[in-house]
Amino acid sequence: MEQTLFILGLNHRTAAVAVRERLAYADNDIAPALVRFREHTPSITEAAILSTCNRVEIIGVAADCERALADAAEFIAADRAVALEAFSGALYRLSGREAARHLFRVGASLDSMMVGEPQILGQVKLAYANAAEAGTVGLVLHRAFHKGFSVAKRIRKATLIGHGTVSVSAAAVALAGQIFDSLKDKTVMLMGAGKMAELTARQLRAIGIESLIITSRTFDHTVALARALGGTAVPFDNYKPYLKIADVVIGSVAVTRPVIALDEFETIIKERRYKPIFLIDLGVPRNFDERMNSLENVYLYDIDDLAQVVHKTRAEREREAAKAEAIVELELEAFWRWMNGLDLVPTIKDIRYSIDRLRDLEMGRHRGWLSALEPAERERVEGLTRGLTNKLLHRILQGLRTSGANTPEGAYAAEVARKLLCGEISAASADLEALGEGPGADDDQEEDEF
Amino acid sequence: METLWLAPALVCYALSAAIFIVGRVARISRASGWATLMLGAGAVFHAFDLATRGLQAGNIPVTNFAQALSFLAWLTALAGMILIVRLQMAAIGGYIAAAVALALGASTIIMKGGRIVLPATLQSVWLPIHVTLAILGYSMFVLAASVSLVYLAYESRLKAKRPLGPPSERLPSLEKLDRINYSLLGWGFALLSLAIVTGAIWADATWGHFWSWEPVESWSLAIWILYAGLLESRLTVGWRGRRAAALTIVVFVVLVGSFVGVSLIYPGKHGGSFG
Repeated sequence: MEQTLFILGLNHRTAAVAVRERLAYADNDIAPALVRFREHTPSITEAAILSTCNRVEIIGVAADCERALADAAEFIAADRAVALEAFSGALYRLSGREAARHLFRVGASLDSMMVGEPQILGQVKLAYANAAEAGTVGLVLHRAFHKGFSVAKRIRKATLIGHGTVSVSAAAVALAGQIFDSLKDKTVMLMGAGKMAELTARQLRAIGIESLIITSRTFDHTVALARALGGTAVPFDNYKPYLKIADVVIGSVAVTRPVIALDEFETIIKERRYKPIFLIDLGVPRNFDERMNSLENVYLYDIDDLAQVVHKTRAEREREAAKAEAIVELELEAFWRWMNGLDLVPTIKDIRYSIDRLRDLEMGRHRGWLSALEPAERERVEGLTRGLTNKLLHRILQGLRTSGANTPEGAYAAEVARKLLCGEISAASADLEALGEGPGADDDQEEDEF
Repeated sequence: METLWLAPALVCYALSAAIFIVGRVARISRASGWATLMLGAGAVFHAFDLATRGLQAGNIPVTNFAQALSFLAWLTALAGMILIVRLQMAAIGGYIAAAVALALGASTIIMKGGRIVLPATLQSVWLPIHVTLAILGYSMFVLAASVSLVYLAYESRLKAKRPLGPPSERLPSLEKLDRINYSLLGWGFALLSLAIVTGAIWADATWGHFWSWEPVESWSLAIWILYAGLLESRLTVGWRGRRAAALTIVVFVVLVGSFVGVSLIYPGKHGGSFG
C-alpha cells in the first residue's frame, strides 16, 4: 500500500485552552516523544509533532492512514496521560491531500487565531528540526515541510497578510511610533488602571520606554501596578503637573466628564512649549475632550479611533488571505504531483541530458581519429553511440515509469536514479550555467527544489 | 552653452521624480531604491556638465543666474541623496527629485548662449568660496522645505485618524522629520551667514566697501533675518512641529521669490552683469 501524509491534531477552534494545555509538549520533550512514538507504533514510517499555544498536531507518514490516525490518538492520550475520551471529539483527522493542505495553511499562518501572525512559521520550523533530531523525518516529511516553508515565504512576499496592527494596544504602540522617533527617551503616563491600559503600558514598556508614571483613584492599586510595571506611582489629586513632562498619556479612568478641561490643557501645552503629546483615550465615557485633538502637536485617539485602525488591518488581512489560499492550492497541486510520483518529467529530462552529455564528451575525446574517417563511416559510428545511449535511456525510463509509479516509492526510485546518473548535473542547472548564473542563484528556487 | 551631459542629467532627474511619485502612489516598495539610483545617475551626468563648464570658464561655473540655478540643483541632489540614504528619508525623494529636475530644467531654458567671461576683478579665490557657501545654504533650505511638506502631509493624516500609510515602507516619524527640519535650517542658516560674511570681505577687497545694498544683498539679509527668527522661535517659545514646518515653507517661498525675482528683474552684480 502506498505511503501518504496524515495529520492528527486539535487547535484553538476545536479545543479549549484547558484541553490544549494538557496535551501540549514542551520543546525539549518533543524529540524523545517522537522516539517513543516510533517505537510503539510500527504502522508509522515518519512523524513530527507541532506543539504551540494554539495547537497540538502529529504530522506523519504511513501506509495505512486509518490505522495510523487511531494509533496516533492512542499514543498521545497515553503519552500525555489524558483520557482519549476527554479530547477525542476535538481531534481533526486528515490524510493525503487534505493533510498536506493543512500543513501548508498552518505554516502560512492561515489557520492561526490571528491570521498572518508571524510566529507560527518559526514554530513549524522547530517542529521539523525536532523531528529531524529524533530521526523521524524521511523523504515525504522532508519534502512536505520544505514545501510548506517555501509556500509560507512566497505568501509573505506576494501578499500583505502580515501587515498592520491587529490589536488595540498594538495599534496604540504603532501610532506612538509614527509620532515619536524613539520611545526610549519618552515618558508614559497611565491614568487609571484598566486592563487594556495596563496591556498597552506593558507593550510600551517591552519596547523600552524611559519612564512610566501611574496614577489612579485607588492609590494602593496604583502602587501595586507601579511596582509590577516598574513605574512611579502618583496620587490622583496631584497628577496634573506630570502632564507637562509626559509624552504619551493613556487614559482609562472611570469618569462622567473629561478629566481635564480644554482651556486648562491648553495652558499645559504652552507650558510644554508645544512638545508633541500623544493621548490614548481608552475610557468609556471618554477621559479627554475630543477637541484636544485640534490643539497644536496634540494627537488624541479614542477607543473607536484605535478600533478603526485595527478593523482596517483585519479587513486588509482577510482580503490578503484569499490570495494566500490560492497560492496554497497552486503549491499543493505541485506537491501532490510529486507525491504521486507523476512528476517524473524533470528527472527524465535530467537523465536524458546527462547521458547525452556523456556521449558528446566521449565523441569529443575521439575527435582525432573520427575526423580521419570517411563521412559515411563517421555517421555509422555516431549512429552506433546514439543507439547505445538511447537503448540505455529507454530501459531506465521504462523502469522508472513502471516501478511503483504514482507512489512515494516511485519518487524514491526517481531520486536514486537521478543521483546515480546525474550527480550534481541537471538540465536545469546546466541551463543556468549557460546563462552565467550558478545553480541556487535564487534562494527561493533552491528551497523549492528542496 | 550646451554640453552633452545636460540632457541625460535632466532625463535622470525627471525619471527619478516620476519613479518616486509613482512608487508612492502605487505602493511599490522597491521603487524608492531605483529612484534614488536615478537621482545619483543624474547627479553624475550633471557633475560632468558642471566640470565641463568650469574648465571653460576657468573657475566655478556660476557666472549668471542660470548657472547658479544649475549648481543649486546639483548640490541639492547630492545633499538630498545623503538625506535619503543615510537617514532613510525616501519619503522626501519625490519632492527633492522634482525640485532638482525643475531647477535644472529652468536653468537650461534661460541659459544664455555663448561663453561668459568673468572680469578679471572677480577672478578671485573668494568666488568659489562665497558662491559655494551661499548655494549650499540654499540647498539646505530646499531640503528643509521638502521635509516640512512631508511633515505637514503626515501630521494631517495622523490628526484625521488616517494613520499607517502604505504598509510596505517604513515612514519616518513626525519627531524625526521635525528634528531633521531643525538641523537643516541650522545648517542652512550657518552657511548663509558665512556666505554673507565672505561676500562682504570679498566686496571690500574688490571695491573697497563691505556692503552696497544691491538687491541680492538686501534680500539675502532679509532672508537671513527670517531664518534667524524661525530658529529663534523654536528655541524660545518652542514653535516646533506643524507650525515650524508651515513657517519653513513660507520663508522658503519668500526665498524662491526673491532669488528668482531679483535675479531676473534686477540682476546687479550677482546676476552676471558685472558693471
